[in-house]
This record gives sequence, structure tokens and C-alpha cells, in this order.
Amino acid sequence: MAATGLRFRPGTVFPSRATSPSTQPYHHCSPQRMHAAKGRCRLKAKSSNGRPQISASSSSSSFRDVVIDGGPSEDGAPEQGGATVSITVVGASGDLAKKKIFPALFALFYEDCLPEHFTVFGYARSKMSDEELRNMISLTLTCRIDQRENCSDKMEQFLKRCFYQSGQYNLEEGFSELDRKLKEKEAGKLPNRLFYLSIPPNIFVDVVRSASRTASSSSGWTRFIVEKPFGRDSESSGELTRSLKQYLDEEQIFRIDHYLGKELVENLSVLRFSNLVFEPLWSRNYIRNVQLIFSEDFGTEGRGGYFDNYGIIRDIMQNHLLQILALFAMETPVSLAAEDIRNEKVKVLRSMRKLRLDDVVVGQYKGHSKGGKSYPAYVDDPTVPSGSITPTFAAAAVFIDNARWDGVPFLMKAGKALHTRRAEIRVQFRRVPGNLYRRNIGTDLDKATNELVLRVQPDEAIYLKINNKVPGLGMRLDSSELNLLYSERYRREIPDAYERLLLDAMEGERRLFIRSDELDAAWAIFTPVLRELEERRVAPELYPYGSRGPVGAHYLAANYNVRWGDISSDT
Amino acid sequence: MAYSCMRCSAGAGAGASAVRRGAAAMRAPAALSFVRCGLRRPAAAAAAKGVKAGMDAGVENPARSAAPSKVENGLPSEITLDDFEDLNPLSENDESTVTITVVGASGDLAKKKIFPALFALYYEDCLPKHFTIFGYARSKMTDDELRNMVSRTLTCRIDKRENCNEKMEEFLKRCFYHSGQYDSEEHFRDLDKKLKQHEGSSVSNRLFYLSIPPNIFLDVVKCASVSASSVNGWTRVIVEKPFGRDSDSSAALTRGLKQYLVEDQIFRIDHYLGKELVENLSVLRFSNLVFEPLWSRQYIRNVQLIFSEDFGTEGRGGYFDRYGIIRDIMQNHLLQILALFAMETPISLEAEDIRNEKVKVLRSMKPLQLDDVVIGQYKSHTKGGTTYPGYIDDKTVPNDSLTPTFAAAALFINNARWDGVPFLMKAGKALHTKGAEIRVQFRHVPGNLYKRSFGTDLDTATNELVIRVQPDEAIYLKINNKIPGLGMRLDRSKLNLHYAARYSKEIPDAYERLLLDAIEGERRLFIRSDELDAAWELFTPLLKELEEKRIAPELYPYGSRGPVGAHYLAAKYNVRWGDLTTEHKA
Repeated sequence: MAATGLRFRPGTVFPSRATSPSTQPYHHCSPQRMHAAKGRCRLKAKSSNGRPQISASSSSSSFRDVVIDGGPSEDGAPEQGGATVSITVVGASGDLAKKKIFPALFALFYEDCLPEHFTVFGYARSKMSDEELRNMISLTLTCRIDQRENCSDKMEQFLKRCFYQSGQYNLEEGFSELDRKLKEKEAGKLPNRLFYLSIPPNIFVDVVRSASRTASSSSGWTRFIVEKPFGRDSESSGELTRSLKQYLDEEQIFRIDHYLGKELVENLSVLRFSNLVFEPLWSRNYIRNVQLIFSEDFGTEGRGGYFDNYGIIRDIMQNHLLQILALFAMETPVSLAAEDIRNEKVKVLRSMRKLRLDDVVVGQYKGHSKGGKSYPAYVDDPTVPSGSITPTFAAAAVFIDNARWDGVPFLMKAGKALHTRRAEIRVQFRRVPGNLYRRNIGTDLDKATNELVLRVQPDEAIYLKINNKVPGLGMRLDSSELNLLYSERYRREIPDAYERLLLDAMEGERRLFIRSDELDAAWAIFTPVLRELEERRVAPELYPYGSRGPVGAHYLAANYNVRWGDISSDT
Repeated sequence: MAYSCMRCSAGAGAGASAVRRGAAAMRAPAALSFVRCGLRRPAAAAAAKGVKAGMDAGVENPARSAAPSKVENGLPSEITLDDFEDLNPLSENDESTVTITVVGASGDLAKKKIFPALFALYYEDCLPKHFTIFGYARSKMTDDELRNMVSRTLTCRIDKRENCNEKMEEFLKRCFYHSGQYDSEEHFRDLDKKLKQHEGSSVSNRLFYLSIPPNIFLDVVKCASVSASSVNGWTRVIVEKPFGRDSDSSAALTRGLKQYLVEDQIFRIDHYLGKELVENLSVLRFSNLVFEPLWSRQYIRNVQLIFSEDFGTEGRGGYFDRYGIIRDIMQNHLLQILALFAMETPISLEAEDIRNEKVKVLRSMKPLQLDDVVIGQYKSHTKGGTTYPGYIDDKTVPNDSLTPTFAAAALFINNARWDGVPFLMKAGKALHTKGAEIRVQFRHVPGNLYKRSFGTDLDTATNELVIRVQPDEAIYLKINNKIPGLGMRLDRSKLNLHYAARYSKEIPDAYERLLLDAIEGERRLFIRSDELDAAWELFTPLLKELEEKRIAPELYPYGSRGPVGAHYLAAKYNVRWGDLTTEHKA
């Protein structure tokens, strides 16, 4: 059995958890999180499935469902030397790599979530020594506030395992050199390789071709994490998928949508499917509308080059918000296995009506002076063409024409340079039929309906707005909240979405990654309207930097008898 | 205006406020009526429209139904919104008075609860402008002595200390005392004379609060109704438990009362119904979409009604020993809450509609079986050097008393909504904690995708709705949630509404609400005779059996969690007490 597996858990962590579950309540890299020791974990899961010992242990701690991994080469028994994972960050000098990927890897290392044998490689065109890379990385590494112990030690250990290889993205030479170095580090162990493509989309295919040809693992798995954008529309996305599939199998492609790694998005399924009280309400019978809201309180700030090519609909809606919508609206999957969940998500997406131009409002922020400070307009950004009509704000009403959701408007709203920064899901329920308290509520019964809010960021929370009697001698009703504020209940820092997703990719857990057919279905919904917007050169409604966005969004909502839940006096 | 008085118009007579509320309901825009709390009272609103007249006809005030507004406050019912806005002129002209006579004024309840509640109502401007308070008891006392006695227990709410002393003095000036025998019509006639002096020539409404032992209920009712009833206003009598000991004695009491009073004059108080969260129960159910679909056997596995006190009889067991915890707590407080919890949606919020639904619940219930009851009695216990006495150590309790100080029971409602759902009640004295709560345990999720995270017993991870009536009012829903982190560990956390955090204002005592209701003629929270009959029918056979068989209670130590028998009773119906799990914190 793999040494990594042995060291990583059962011997040590498992018994201590079983005996004193309360002392480490939030330790998460539990046996259930079965990554590198895949062979072992699968074996264990199989052998103990349904047996008393596993239910005993899992009831006191947790159980991460067994992953079905279709990876090409892991069915073979691990070799004597154990397995090793190499993570190659392609585009190591880029912003995302520095800000998110390396810190996430370090956090995983710090929390003992990486396999014992792992190597991190940076790959980029610039010349750099290993030391220089380490210096660069170390600037962005931090320890969690709640776990500062040994932090410097751990950092050093981590950095020692980081290396750099420079090379061109479209040449196989660089990658064959990388392959040679990887082999050196792998030292005869079963090699698994993960490539994180943190590069512009136009070189995706080049890198995949070169890397898969010359730097694939010979006996372990080879996986590629790809970041958005996945094309600009149905065709370009289809083209990209076809090209990737020339070199990779579906199981090797991990399309990341980091919103799916957010804690509350992960929790959405738990809420729905492990509580009795929500599922009966989860349909057109009780839900009046659903709102998916994303806002940033800053603009492109001099980095609008990429954004201007895509716009907010492609950047946020077609992926992040639509993915959350699919998770929200899907039928109960057969199991929690990735393919079962993704099957259900695809069904939702394919039941959706294509978005029509009438159901979309686009906006773009303009300059604004407030309190002596002036904020630039989108077109003031030097990296943005001055005549750009790229939307920095969009609101859309989409519909799912299936039995569960027929007629329920799903409203999406995403924007930059707004007055607040947040991402949330708001579920507005219907009014109470024949409400006994209607006289207390006044004429607009919809004002006093229940609302379930999942605040994804910042300040994670779940709350249900209920009508309640104001304490006192009278009978005044009041909308109050049944509240779960994460920061109060869970003191531990919530891991970054990238940590979860990287770990998932290493473990071959595909639940949170986007399958090709999902991507196709998602583009099919948005492509016609995107094309129409561009062909007709529909001008965005301008809104001041730092405002609540264009008023058009309210009119759109009003069309469907909806009121945005985030812009009301009580929030 | 402070919201406390949204319910009552400042300084106005009850009748006037009822009419005004009616006017508000009809004319004022929603927001306004909200503030006046007119809409709180559909009954009052209906009265103004003449709908409710029939109910009151020939009861307290025959004239009222004929020309309600005229008789009640001397004003035409066509009150315009302007009049409504302008309260002071209205109150000046308001000629009706209310006299509240506390019979048994020197008793404990009167001192601790009734007078302070009356003062609180006064402080918050919820009493009519013209009101008088009389204490009536056997002991000789002057008005000043009564005032002294009362003043010792008056307090102002923590959040409203302003003018408190002034207000207290004003209040005390309107308190008087009359001494007399409880069975003497003559003494009540003297009281009547004094009342008339205070009432002057205005319409006089009279409320008698019987804060006396049950054996003299009838005497007082007879004397008071014969010699001290109001001639031109209403006369109402508030009666406190116990309402008999069983079906027969309760029926006898009712018959006795009805010789002198009609049903609408009798206000049987159950102060638990005046608790904020019990009031809120109907609001939760009927003004939220998200609860009602779940409110049935399809989703609810069991309901638990739990009452515990952390002290014993402490030398005052005389009364208690004759009744026991089942009569003292279960048959009234817990059963009333159960009925409110389980009733079908009433046609309206009007008292008779709600009470009709409650009676239906009670009449659908199976009478309690001895098998479904566990009784206990606390014994002495020494802890940390302190010795706590056993129940029978109480000097006022006979040495061989079998009276239960603890009881747990499983009840069932055989109707379409609740068939097969156990309703578990538990009530006890001298337990480890004090509190009252309603716990609703939901079924497990069918085909739970996360079943492996829960282990073999799916029922340990079900949702639970908890309504904590006291102390520290709260509503929370236990949900399963993912623990933040990279793994997939589930956790039960709470969607929480903690009253103290959300509402800074002090929550009024149940007695304030109930007194005000009685003054306003709102009967929703009082127990109707047929309700009482139905309640006794459920418990009487069992109580008889317990006594005839002289069933010995299971002893439990003072300050403990009660007899273990309660667990076995729960286990029989596959229930786990929600209050005694490790995760529960008081």
C-alpha cells in the first residue's frame, strides 16, 4: 500500500478523531478526503462500505463520498515506492498564479492535505531560477489567521519543493525538459501530474498539445485544469473543446469555475438534500422567483484589456451565476458522484429557454465624483477602447421550462463598480394563500413573503426571513431573520475556493468542474443574445461608478413582478 | 408613539378604542392601522361593523348591540379619520369607565402579578382614561395600606425608567381597598356603592379578577354578580386555575358559574397563552409560507411540549399536593399550547373561530392511557454541600404523598393531519433547569443523499424547530449544514432568532396581555367552557386510575433531569427528548 496513504491518515488521524472528535472539530483533511492514496481509499471504501466500522467512524466524524475516478491509469496497483503528484503551474509568473494558485497550494500543504510526495513546478517563458521563483511566491504566501503555528517552518519546507522551468508555450522542447526534471523528482514513484493552465486562452491548445505529448505521466494520471474563458460563444467554445479533446480525454479536463468552490455554493446541495424542511418548498408551488446576484465595488482599474473582449455576461453570468442556478434548480441526483450531479445540471441547462434580448439589460459604468474623490468611467481605463460598448453590468431573466420551475423567473444580476461587493442567492417565496394576517400586512401581500438568502460572499451567511410578531401587547408583524452567520458559528477561516478545487483535481473529484456538455448547454443559452447585442451594437445604459446600477434592472424585474431583494430598504 | 401602545389608544376607553380600531380598519391605510394595532383585533373591527353584535347581545350589556358606539362611549360610530388622529378631544368626552376589582388582593398572585401588570398597562398608556382599581379581601386595611403593599412590588421596565415614580404615584392614587367577606352579598353591595362613587354617571364597566382559592369561586361570583354588577356597562369575571380537579368537578364549577354569569362574562385565564412566543405560534404558522406545508404527519415526526422548573414546592405544597403536576401544568398550559399548535387554520383570527378550532383538536384526541404516562416525584439530594429537600420533606405536604411533581405523557390526535404523530409532554418541578419550549422534530429526509455522513441512525440528524417560550425567548430551526472546510462534514447548526438580540424592548408579562384582553373583551386567549370540558375528558380517566391504583411515582433527585422512565416512554414511540441531548444548551 502506498506510503503516502499510510502516513497521511488512517494510522494517525483516524483514531484520534474517533476518540476525541470534539478536540479537532473542524479538521477537515480527514480520511474521507481521499486524495493521493486513491487506491487505498477506494479499497477502504469498498471493503468497509456499509459495514459497522465505517458507519461508526463516519457518524462521529464525516464521510466524503467515494469518488469515482475515470482517470486512465489509476486502476493499476500503486507501485512499491508510492505515488507522487507534480503540480505544474503553467503561466507561473501571472497574476492568478501568484495571488491564488501558489497560496492555495501552500494552504493545502500547511493543512497536510497534499500527498507526502509532491512537487510544484512553475512554468513560464521568462527566465528565472528556482530561487527567484521561490522569492516571488514567498511574497504572497500567508498563513491563516487561526493557524500561525510553525508557519515560517512550513513555508520553507513548501518552498523547497517548488521549482521553475522556463520555456515557450507552443514548443515541445520546454515541456520535454520539464518532463525530464519531473521524472527526476518523481524518483521512480508512481507519477501523477497536474497541469494548471493559468494562461491566456489563445495559447490553451498549444500548451495542452505540447504538454500532453511530451510531459504526460507514463504510468499515473495526467490532468489539466483550465480556467475561463472557455470560448466566447457556442462555436468558439465547441472549437476549443474539440481541440482539447484531440489531446485529452474528457476525464483529463478539469474546467474550473471557482465559484463552485465557494463554501456556500458547496453547501447549497447539503441544505437542499440533507434537510427535510427545504425540499418540499423547492418548486414553482412555493417559490415565486430566484435571484442570483453578483456585484463588485470596483471597476477594471487599468486591467480592462481582457475584460473588454468578453464583457460581464461572459465573465460572470454565463459561467458563475449559471452554474449556481443549475445547482440550485437541479432535480435530486442519483448520488453525489460527480457524473450524477453533472447529469442533473445539464438537464436543467437544457430545459432552459434561450435568453432573449428583451430579457436582458446591459449597463456600463461612467465616471463619478463623490466626496471630493472622482472615480473613472469604464472607458477612461487606458486598456479599454474609448468607444467600447462592452457591458460592465447586466441583468437577465431566465426561465427553466420544466415541471418544477415552469413560470418561475430566475433573475441574474452582475456588475462591476457598484456600491457594494457581494454574491448571493435570494429565494423569494410566494405569499401565504388566504393569509389570516393579511390586514396586518397591508395591501401588497408580496411585501411580506418569506425569503431565503444564501450569502456566498462576503460574510457568509444563510438566513430565512420570516414574519414574526413584534413582542409587545399589540399584534404587529415584523419581518425578522432566522439567521446563521458563519463567522459567529464557525470561527475557523473558510478555505479559498482554489484550495478546494485544486485538491479536488488531485483527487479526481469532478463534481465541481464543468463537463463539456454542460459548457455547450450553457453557451447555447447565451450565445444568441450575445450575438444580437453585438450585431445591433446595443448601447449599455450608463450608471455612475459606485451606484446601484442602471435602473433598467428594476424595470426588467418589474416585467416579471419581481423586486430585487438586495436593493430594498431593509438590507 | 411607542409601539407598546400601538395596541391601545392612549387614554381612551376600551369601547372607544374598539370603535376607533374599527374605524381604522375600515378607513385608515394599512400602515396607520398597523400602528394603532386596530388590525390586531378583527373582532373589534367586526364589532364596529355590527358583525359581532349578535355575540354580545344580551350579555354584558344588552344595549351595546343595539347601538354599540353610543352606549359605549357616547360617540357616533361614524368617526372620521381626523377624529381618529386627534386622540385627546376624544378621550375628554369619553365617559365610560372601567373598574378592576382584584378579589383576594392580599394574596401572592395579586401582589406579584396582577397589580404590577395593571401598573405596566397604565405606564404604557394602555388602560382607559377613567379607571379605578379596587382591592377586595377579608383583612382590614386602609386604602393607604393597600397602596403601600402594592407599591412594594411595582417596578418599571428596565427600558423605560422615565417618570416612573410620578407614574407610580398617579397609579396608586387610583387604587382603593374594600374589605369584606367573600360570601357576603352585603359587603359586595358596599363595594358597589364605592364603585358607583368613582364611576360617576358614566357608563361603567367592571372587571373582577378572582385571585382566590377555588372553593370560594362560586361564593364570590354569586355575591359579586348579584350585588356589584354594572348596571349599564359590562361585567366580566377573570377566573384562575384550577378549574376543578376532573371532568365532574370542572363541570360542576362551570354550571355554578353559569348560574350567575353567561359564557361571555367568564374569562378563564391560562397565563401561558399570554406568553409572547405562544402568541407568536399562530403568526409563525399562518403568516409564513414556509412552515404550513410542513405542518402535518407527512413531515413532522413528533412534537414535544416541555415545561420544567428548577425549584420544588418550597414550603408551599399545600395547594399543589391536592392537584399534582398533571392538573397543574399539563391539562391546562401544555394542552392549550398543543391545541394552538395542532389546530387547523381558523376562518379568522376572531376568538370564537380560534377556539372552535382548538376544541376540534381536543375532541380528536385519544384520552390518555396509563401506559402512556410516567410520573415522578422528587426526592432530596445533596450536592456541593447543599441539601435539597424531597417533596415529602415539605411541611405542607403529607408524608406519604403520591402526588406527582413530574409527569411525561404521550398523546395522539386522531385526525387526518396528525394521525400517528406522538405529541410528548413533559412537566416537572425541581429539575436541573427551568424553561418551557415546544420542539418539533421532523422526519428524516427520504432517500437522503448524505446518508453516509449521518451514520446508521438517520433520525439523529433530522431538522428540528424549537420555540423557546421562556426564559430567553427564541425560535430556531436546526438544519444540517456543511462545516466550512475542504472536507464534507455535516453539522447541525441553527437558523436562529434570538429575541433578546433582535428585540431590545422588554417583553410584557403574560398577565398584562391577558388583563388588557379582558378589558377589551378579546376572548381569544381565554378558555371557553367546551374547551375546558374537552381538556378534562382527556385527562380524567387517567387521573382517576392513578389515584385509584395509588400508583407510586418514580423518585428522582432534586435538581436532576427527572425520572428515566420519561426516556423509556419516549423510546416506546421512537422519540428522543430534544431537551436532553448533549448538544442542547439552555
